[in-house]
Amino acid sequence: MTISGLGPHGERAAPPERVSLLPDDRASAKQSAWRVAVVLHTVESDWAKQQLAGMVGIFGDCGAAVIDVVDCGFSPERQVAELDRLIAHRPDAIISLPVANEEVASAHARVSAAGIKLILLDNAPTGLLPGKHYTALVSADNFGLGKIAAAGLSPHLPQGAEVGVLGFAADFFATNEREIAFIKWLQANRSDVRVHVKRFGRMDEAAKLGEALVTNHPTLAGLFVVWDTPALAVSARLAEMGHVLPLATVDLGEAAAIDMAKNGSVRCIAAQQPYQQGIAAAQTVILSLLTRPVPAWIALPGIGVTRGNVVESFQTIWRQPAPKEVLRLLGLSG
Amino acid sequence: MPPLASAQAESLRPRGKGRPRTLETAAPSLVELLNLVRSETATTRQELERHSDLGRAVVADRLTMLGDLGLVDESELGTATGGRAPRLVRFAARRAAILVATLDQTAIGVGVADLSGNLLTEHHEAADLTEPPAHLTERLTALFRWSLDRHAASQGVWGLSLSVPGAVQSGAEGSFLTATPPIMPSWEGYPLVETLTQSFGVPIWIRSSVETMTMGELHAGAGLGQGTMLFIKVGRRIGAGIVCDGQLFRGAQGAAGLIGSLPVTSGGQSGPLDMMAGSDMIQREGIAAASDGRSAILADIQRRGGEITAIEVSQAAQVGDAASVAILATSGHLIGQVVATLANALNPDLIVLSGSIVQTNDILLAAVREAVYGASHPLVTRDLRIIRSQMGSSAGLVGAARVASEALFAPAFLKEWVMQGRPQAHPAFAEYLGHLAQTPQPHPAPPMPPASRTAKEPQA
Repeated sequence: MTISGLGPHGERAAPPERVSLLPDDRASAKQSAWRVAVVLHTVESDWAKQQLAGMVGIFGDCGAAVIDVVDCGFSPERQVAELDRLIAHRPDAIISLPVANEEVASAHARVSAAGIKLILLDNAPTGLLPGKHYTALVSADNFGLGKIAAAGLSPHLPQGAEVGVLGFAADFFATNEREIAFIKWLQANRSDVRVHVKRFGRMDEAAKLGEALVTNHPTLAGLFVVWDTPALAVSARLAEMGHVLPLATVDLGEAAAIDMAKNGSVRCIAAQQPYQQGIAAAQTVILSLLTRPVPAWIALPGIGVTRGNVVESFQTIWRQPAPKEVLRLLGLSG
Repeated sequence: MPPLASAQAESLRPRGKGRPRTLETAAPSLVELLNLVRSETATTRQELERHSDLGRAVVADRLTMLGDLGLVDESELGTATGGRAPRLVRFAARRAAILVATLDQTAIGVGVADLSGNLLTEHHEAADLTEPPAHLTERLTALFRWSLDRHAASQGVWGLSLSVPGAVQSGAEGSFLTATPPIMPSWEGYPLVETLTQSFGVPIWIRSSVETMTMGELHAGAGLGQGTMLFIKVGRRIGAGIVCDGQLFRGAQGAAGLIGSLPVTSGGQSGPLDMMAGSDMIQREGIAAASDGRSAILADIQRRGGEITAIEVSQAAQVGDAASVAILATSGHLIGQVVATLANALNPDLIVLSGSIVQTNDILLAAVREAVYGASHPLVTRDLRIIRSQMGSSAGLVGAARVASEALFAPAFLKEWVMQGRPQAHPAFAEYLGHLAQTPQPHPAPPMPPASRTAKEPQA
């Protein structure tokens, strides 16, 4: 699968295989007994849990201790405070998902200035440069995810349809790329479609904005929400209003998989591979601590999920069986 | 006479007898004070009085005018040095935005900057510059609109600056473009400047990628405060940006620094510097080294399913791979020989090497240093620093923003619009816009899809 996006500074993507570990690497790492901290936007989501599971396993294999896992609760202020606290603990490396742009940039720059290897997930604040302020960025091919979502929603849109896009108001590389790519794909392949964009700043705003989109554009024929949790909140609010709109989103969470299996509103999911991404991030940490060269941007391709492949996609992405409810709805188990 | 020239001629025409208009008396002092504040030469009223030789009452009056126009902000207090703390006079850099873009052979980058040229956001995506120019212009327009909606919806735009792969012919100093200069053969005859001016209603500037990167380095990188600097971009093509007396030197035709076509000789072979030392050579030699067993590290990358590009060779050299070190050293020596000639001609304070190959290893930098020091007059190298850029690929966007920022506030340009508070009111630009509105475009962009016509909604 090819990567269609470019990195935050125009970098070409390196595949995750580029940071795979060889037996020698693991053996060398074990002798060093490194200490690593992880700073995430949240630890509540399926995505975050799988990402952590991928990382922690690799660090275990390499004898590196995960000394802290921080939940920033999407708060830039909390992230800045936590990074400063961690710097004082002098871990060998920090994996961080910057939750904002300008507000958290200098705190991240302080990490590398303190001689701590910094690996970013999903987002690189404007002004921070690879090799200088951080070692590498590991993310999904978010541009590709936007294209997958648009291509998956397109068959459900009649000629001349109106489509709503619910983007994320925070200036965030990953969600910006998804939104740009979704609209670009429609402009290139479905120039008959008219797009209406709104952006939510907080999770609880998403359902309200979804409702406003449908109220302002009563003929809306489909919706793209930049990730699954707000997408399902929007879907539930619209259902209360008596609307069932075909919906495309990103990330195959358990609830989204169930909705898809029961022929709900979710028709297409552009799925990230959080478990694999966690592995790639941890491997990048180990290689950089071993002073091996690592690419500035490592990107993982997305997976297009529909009702027809939801079971195997769930297994591929989460490395575990699909939920019983999904199997039951699809007639694969009692 | 083109609209700009006629407007400039108009503005320079001497007035008859009588008292000068307020515009004529206030504009020069507004320009002087605004640029003192913008450059942070003066940050308080007292400093402005000292640097400008204007009286207290005039400074106070002009600052009030600039404040009313939204160009300066006096809300912040400085540090007291005995007595009351002075009010700081700050340039209102967020008063409006500058749109910037880099057009590369295989990618476009788009950004939004403030009026000081600080980048607020950037986005890059793959693009093919051999595509019809109308398609790429449409894409640029959509990305600009999306970025504006995201980052500068309320402020509006005051200028647009583009970075393009080849040399761009010089125009009058500081003046915006009123016609599309020759950029690339495949874009010949396409009205890029006219189309973008009509779309955004703002003045446009275009420079080569080497020039914008040089500007980025000069104003936001290692070149900050340097009088004479050489900026060397190493990639598939190798080019030089020349800074003299703190200003980018563009040459008679805007073609200064095209060093990539100079002939060099290595290992009994001769060819242009681009071919003998650029990234194509590094990649080719790296693949050969992986295949014939000279480089274990590069072979290892292939074994993990990775592709070997010049970047991988460069990274391998950094960790001591002997074959990669030799490849980078050859490239560095050849580049260094040419740079030494330039250094002896210009006697720079600083030489900055840029490009991802340079940024990922020290070998090429060391080889350039060796060649320059070995071939230069002792006086040239006595205080010379040869370093690597720290700005990465963002330098082009940052530099493009600085090109527009400097042009917008160049005294000759600024005095024509400062009283109206926005550059669109510059008489020559207003005339140019009117002229464009009446002239049908020879190659109009294809109709935008309905998605792009939705009023007040971002498109990308």
